Amino acid sequence: MTNALAIQGLTKTYEDFTLDHVSFTVPSGSIVGLIGENGAGKSTTINAALGLIRKEDGRVAILGNEELSSDTKEQIGVVFDGSNYPEILSPGKINRVMKHIYHSWDEQTYFQLLKQFSLPVDKQIKQFSKGMKMKLAICAALSHHSRLLILDEATSGLDPVIRDDILDMLLDFVQDEEHSILVSSHITSDLEKIADYIVFIHEGKVVFSKPKDELTEAYGIIKCGAAQFDELDKSDVIVYRKMDYEWQVLISDREKMQRKYPKAMIVPATIDEIMLLYVKGEGACKTLRNGGKG
Amino acid sequence: MKGILIKDLYIARSNIVVTVVSLIVLGFGLSFLLETSALLVLAPVASTTAVFISITSDAGSKWNKNVIAMPVSRNQIIGEKYTFYIILALAGLAAALIPCGILAQLGADITAQSLCLYGAIGMSATLLAGGISLPCAYLFDPEKSQIVFMMSFMASTGIIAGIVLFMNLLIPVKEYILPTFGIVLAVAVICFVISYIVAAKVYQKRDII
Repeated sequence: MTNALAIQGLTKTYEDFTLDHVSFTVPSGSIVGLIGENGAGKSTTINAALGLIRKEDGRVAILGNEELSSDTKEQIGVVFDGSNYPEILSPGKINRVMKHIYHSWDEQTYFQLLKQFSLPVDKQIKQFSKGMKMKLAICAALSHHSRLLILDEATSGLDPVIRDDILDMLLDFVQDEEHSILVSSHITSDLEKIADYIVFIHEGKVVFSKPKDELTEAYGIIKCGAAQFDELDKSDVIVYRKMDYEWQVLISDREKMQRKYPKAMIVPATIDEIMLLYVKGEGACKTLRNGGKG
Repeated sequence: MKGILIKDLYIARSNIVVTVVSLIVLGFGLSFLLETSALLVLAPVASTTAVFISITSDAGSKWNKNVIAMPVSRNQIIGEKYTFYIILALAGLAAALIPCGILAQLGADITAQSLCLYGAIGMSATLLAGGISLPCAYLFDPEKSQIVFMMSFMASTGIIAGIVLFMNLLIPVKEYILPTFGIVLAVAVICFVISYIVAAKVYQKRDII
């Protein structure tokens, strides 16, 4: 399987933040969800991959090309948070602008998509709602025969109905095996619906990069008390979190753990819960050092 | 580059129309008070304000971030703004020539020499001001660049005065007024080109977030 996007050892240092050797891939024909809390490094990763910011180290190959040439950019559709088009323009005027920017601009597809999403052609963008602006940005990104779609927090701040429309649009796009999507979001429920892989970034580092099904089907949370927690083999614990009345322990193989600890209550873990436990929980080594008392 | 030029023309269209109409009306109005061809000094300067409207709009909508992800190079982005600036300056000059031409037909005392002189002064001031303010629009935030934009016209007037005073040491400027301002215009063109090269180099290394 070829990769639509391959990021290896991507590094960028700011005064108060470091993107630290981030590596992951977006296989062709798949949707990869980039998750992490605000400020984790999702946008920095995307900006560095797209050449908006200069990387200090690492390699980025988009559609097999390490150099981000105009030909490569022709095949990438990018949607940032917000429409990022001058608000005085209308979708009709954007068409006239874009057909002189993209050689592969497909006017017919663009107007079809506008119609599909009930977007007026001659209304100025400043009169659009946030959802309409996002739909317009996605229409533009899909109208030049993109092979790779990159969306940075494109669904944040939108209501569930519009988010669902956009997710359907993305699923349609990826029906073609040549098409791939990298979508960053902190709305993990959206990614649970559409993503094939999940890359979790925390404090500038990739914590894990795994198939979504593995996370949702194999990962689990043991909910237990202090005594039961002490009895756990700490090598089974990925991270844990002490709540008011219970301990939550993230484990990577629900079935295996259920066999090993038959009395334990093990529930499936959502991506949201996995992310929360990684961010707010503590590591197993700390547990061992503190003798299991947290 | 054509696509982003069209985008800027859409953004600045209403401003350009207002400026051009104002210049024509002002030209007829000025003819009762002073030489109409003096309008050529003001016209290119006034018409280039639309460039800064487009720069402010780009910053407000985060277009700069969006366009980098499109098949447009950073040099093209900078080159387009400089091209747009020159197009607007020339459009302003052309608009100012309309009342001058009509009044000349009606018998006003408008000579080719006065048109060339005032045109050279106007274009010199515009190119020097643009040479200062355009790179700053990409170096500073929109508020600071607006201040630089306003200051740049004062600076360009000072630079022109400095060049003329310097040339007066070499040749009697009053006797060679047209060649003098021809040289001033040539210096302004060179400064504008240098400014483009500097802006393009700075923008190449700039993080766009």
